[in-house]
Amino acid sequence: MEEFIKILSPEYINLTLSNILLNHKNDIYLIIETVLKIAAFYGGIMSLAGLLTIGERKISALMQDRIGPNRANIFKFTLWGLFHPMADGIKMIMKEDFIPKNASKILFTIAPVISMVPVLVVFAFIPFGNYLDLGFYKINFIILDSDLSFFLLIAISSLAIYGTFLGGFSSGNNWGILGAIRAQAQMISYEVVVVLSVLPVIMIYSASSLSDLTLKQSGTILGIIPNWGIFVQPVSFLIFFTAALAENKRTPFDVVEGESEIIGYFIEHGSMRFAAFMFAEYVEIILFSMLASIFFFGGWQVPYLNDQGFNLGSFFIPINHYLIVLMQLASFALKTVFFSVLVIMIRWTLPRFRFDQIMRLCWANLLPISVLNLLLTALIIRGIK
Amino acid sequence: MPKVIIDGKEFIAKENETVLNVAERNGIYIPRYCYHPALSIAGNCRMCLVEIEKMPKLQIACATTVTDGMVIHTQTEKVKKARQDVLEFLLLNHPLDCPICDQVGECYLQDYYMEYGLKKSRIDLKDKNRKPKRRDIGKHLILDNERCILCTRCVRFCEEVTKTSELFINSRGDHSFIDIKTEEKLDNDYSLNIADICPVGAFTSKDFRFKERVYRLSSTSSICLSCATGCKIKVQHNNGKIYRILPDPNIYTNTWICDNGRMSYKITAGPDRLTKSIIKSEEHHLNKAIIKLFDILKEAKEKNLKIAILLSDYLSIEDNFALYYLGFEILKTDLIYASKEKEQKIEDGILINKDKTPNSNAVSQISKLYGIKKYEDLKDCDLLIGFYDDIEKLNIPKNKSVALSYKADKEYDNLIAIKTYFETEGSFINWQYFLRKTAPSVSAPTDTISVYDLCLKISELFGYYPKEKELNKIFNELKYKTED
Amino acid sequence: MIRTKKIESKPLNFFEKIYIIEVIRGFSVTLKHFFINLFFPSKIPTISYPEEKVLLPGNAKLKSRHRIKLRSDGTPKCVACMMCSTICPADCIHIEAAETETPVEKYPKVFNIDISKCVMCGLCVEACPEDAISMDTNEIAGGAYSRFSNFQKDGLFLTKNELFIKLKDEKISKLGAANRLENEYGERND
Repeated sequence: MEEFIKILSPEYINLTLSNILLNHKNDIYLIIETVLKIAAFYGGIMSLAGLLTIGERKISALMQDRIGPNRANIFKFTLWGLFHPMADGIKMIMKEDFIPKNASKILFTIAPVISMVPVLVVFAFIPFGNYLDLGFYKINFIILDSDLSFFLLIAISSLAIYGTFLGGFSSGNNWGILGAIRAQAQMISYEVVVVLSVLPVIMIYSASSLSDLTLKQSGTILGIIPNWGIFVQPVSFLIFFTAALAENKRTPFDVVEGESEIIGYFIEHGSMRFAAFMFAEYVEIILFSMLASIFFFGGWQVPYLNDQGFNLGSFFIPINHYLIVLMQLASFALKTVFFSVLVIMIRWTLPRFRFDQIMRLCWANLLPISVLNLLLTALIIRGIK
Repeated sequence: MPKVIIDGKEFIAKENETVLNVAERNGIYIPRYCYHPALSIAGNCRMCLVEIEKMPKLQIACATTVTDGMVIHTQTEKVKKARQDVLEFLLLNHPLDCPICDQVGECYLQDYYMEYGLKKSRIDLKDKNRKPKRRDIGKHLILDNERCILCTRCVRFCEEVTKTSELFINSRGDHSFIDIKTEEKLDNDYSLNIADICPVGAFTSKDFRFKERVYRLSSTSSICLSCATGCKIKVQHNNGKIYRILPDPNIYTNTWICDNGRMSYKITAGPDRLTKSIIKSEEHHLNKAIIKLFDILKEAKEKNLKIAILLSDYLSIEDNFALYYLGFEILKTDLIYASKEKEQKIEDGILINKDKTPNSNAVSQISKLYGIKKYEDLKDCDLLIGFYDDIEKLNIPKNKSVALSYKADKEYDNLIAIKTYFETEGSFINWQYFLRKTAPSVSAPTDTISVYDLCLKISELFGYYPKEKELNKIFNELKYKTED
Repeated sequence: MIRTKKIESKPLNFFEKIYIIEVIRGFSVTLKHFFINLFFPSKIPTISYPEEKVLLPGNAKLKSRHRIKLRSDGTPKCVACMMCSTICPADCIHIEAAETETPVEKYPKVFNIDISKCVMCGLCVEACPEDAISMDTNEIAGGAYSRFSNFQKDGLFLTKNELFIKLKDEKISKLGAANRLENEYGERND
């Protein structure tokens, strides 16, 4: 009893804490660092996804000579429609949460969650900057670095198919089930192509982790062109871009949802459930943009910039380390936003493919081309060595 | 048999036939105002001018008899110009009343104007002749002299058909107008036919006045049930409401119909239409009323009460036979009565029959075939089923009877709301032994039922399921003619 | 007779088949619009009603809520000829006619327009022989800026009370029966 009181006494606690701090200093720094990184990175992703919802509406409006949403306001202050995502969120939460009579309740409830979680988890492997040296501590701008992060990414992100498939099958609606079947066929097919299209890049840079891959894209080819995946493997990029669009179920491959006329797998999902599906789609767009920039556009790399400053052949401009970090972060963010906007613009430019055309494009065109590309790359690498 | 050529085609005409008739028979329409097939030829409107070769001037088609080898043109420029000019004369003093005129949609002036006129008036508004408007001219008619084109169809109708001659043309020249003889009203039994034959909106019906536009009405062929003549009629209705009845001219029975027959549609909708059945002084929905009636009949049958059934001259053959079937086969009563044979003849020499019931011809045949007793034999009974109008005529305590009725009557304890023959089908045999069928033109109120269906349902409740063949066998036994 | 038009589609050539060039062509169209509208937003043809109102030329402006014009004596110009309800493609006008003592003889006892059915085509205005019905109130029926009950279904069902109105500074035109009433019959009654 006495001992217990002793433990609870303030002096004792102080002592224990300082001991822990002394012994586990690096662990605690790591925890704080990770929490901060998660907050910052995921916060950024979430707000970008929110902005993309309004961005999609605004961009489509501008492309079609319209104004787009501009009425949501706080005290008559509309901020060019930026309050619309908020208004949408409030509306989605306030709506009736409806589960159809025939639906399987548990699956119906967890389907939207399942479609969100794998996509969000994958972001842990994404290097969104190089490192920040604070003198006493070095922060790597990646939440979880692993030597096999590329394969982990492929493995986890392919789980997202369960969300769509459960969403359709659990709703007890025939149209929902049909939508889910279409989604399965399309997503599984294009999954193969996505992986095959990225493999040549992995082979050329001989790096299986994303951070390694980004690092190896520094420098230049022949002193002029940045050493990026797009310049090494342009065909790979086109295939990856197409296949990833199809896997995200974005137009022109959106027969799965067919918002305007066909009915998709989430037909019975309303309110926040539907919002989760839709949000997952936008998060997927961001993931896709980040992967595209990592694989083919050097990730956080800024052309001609190394750890010390700009290296333009004979010139060398030294730059402050903190400025370099900022530039690298900005570079990654810019590339991500660029690809996200590009995906949205594609939706409002191209008409939809028929389902048979989608499948033929996958199995008859993209798959053979990517396999050939893979073989050629392998031969060339072998030849050089 | 003279052969004529009209518009390049050769036709064989009958002796003394007019050009207009030959053309009409062969599908060539010649515009007309004053010509009416059932009236004498006046030839005063000049609208039917046609060009006949070897004749110096244009001739009126309605009054020119054909001769062998006549060559007639109805569509030349000369003819069209003539018609345009005639139309311009007719429209010279015509008011621009079309928005408020009831003739719109069946107005010859409008039709021909669209075909031949399409010109602006060359006369100033102030110079137009003014004539009396909105004259209350009789029980059913309103006369607007400004709209009149003086074709005299109405005058001829009153002279030739009703032979009452109430109308004449007053004044002269372009001031002449149709007038009625002093101290008289146009109150003959056929006055509403004048509104029909008037090619313009001069005579309009008071009953139909401002109710509905003609072009919105749809037509259903049926027969008139206000007397034994059984005239063929066209029931005109829109959106489930009957607006008027027109004659359906035919060579067998009628060209016209009487005013009484025209008003007969009023039983379908009105303040005293029975829309819900009353059993034991309580209103019931249809299904419940049938079950209540069944309970009454069952109780009476079990107690061996005397149930009498009246066949009715007002009901169709199917309904009458279903009633007979109900009484004879199901209630096993031999107290079935029908009216005695009535004298049938045209009273006024035109259409109205002495016998005011539509189906006495068929009912008397049924009663002969099945040995049914006459109304006079009905001494006493405990329960009586029959048509409302028949029960009214007999001295039966009203609380003992179940009346099939269109009309609400508070004196009766039991009233079954039945469908009128504007709402259901029924076969009737008229005084000429023609078998004709009514056709439903509008839908009945929801809680009404046809007598046939009522009898069928009650038999089903008693456990009998009569086949349609069984109920329709009566048509093989009756004597009748058909029109073809 | 059924007329058929045979459309011959020519097969895609190689550059069309590989899509990329065609996709870029499509992009050039949409991006042109995107950038023009992004940098010159004033060129977007949208009008932000009700903050902005544009008076359109000719009959195009006459597509607001209906009304029935009145004569100088306050009676409606309408003579219940039913032309508007006949031509109405949405079948939203209901009129019951009745007789009046004035020389016009006929007036609408009931005049209802169900705006929730109305397609705002303006055919009723075209059809009216009396120049009585018009769509010049500059109101959106049932809308936020309507004179009558807002955002309610009742506000979309117009009866005589809402329809028979006079606009501010309106000149009474003497067309149709109003003309007849005051010129022709006035003369005869003297």
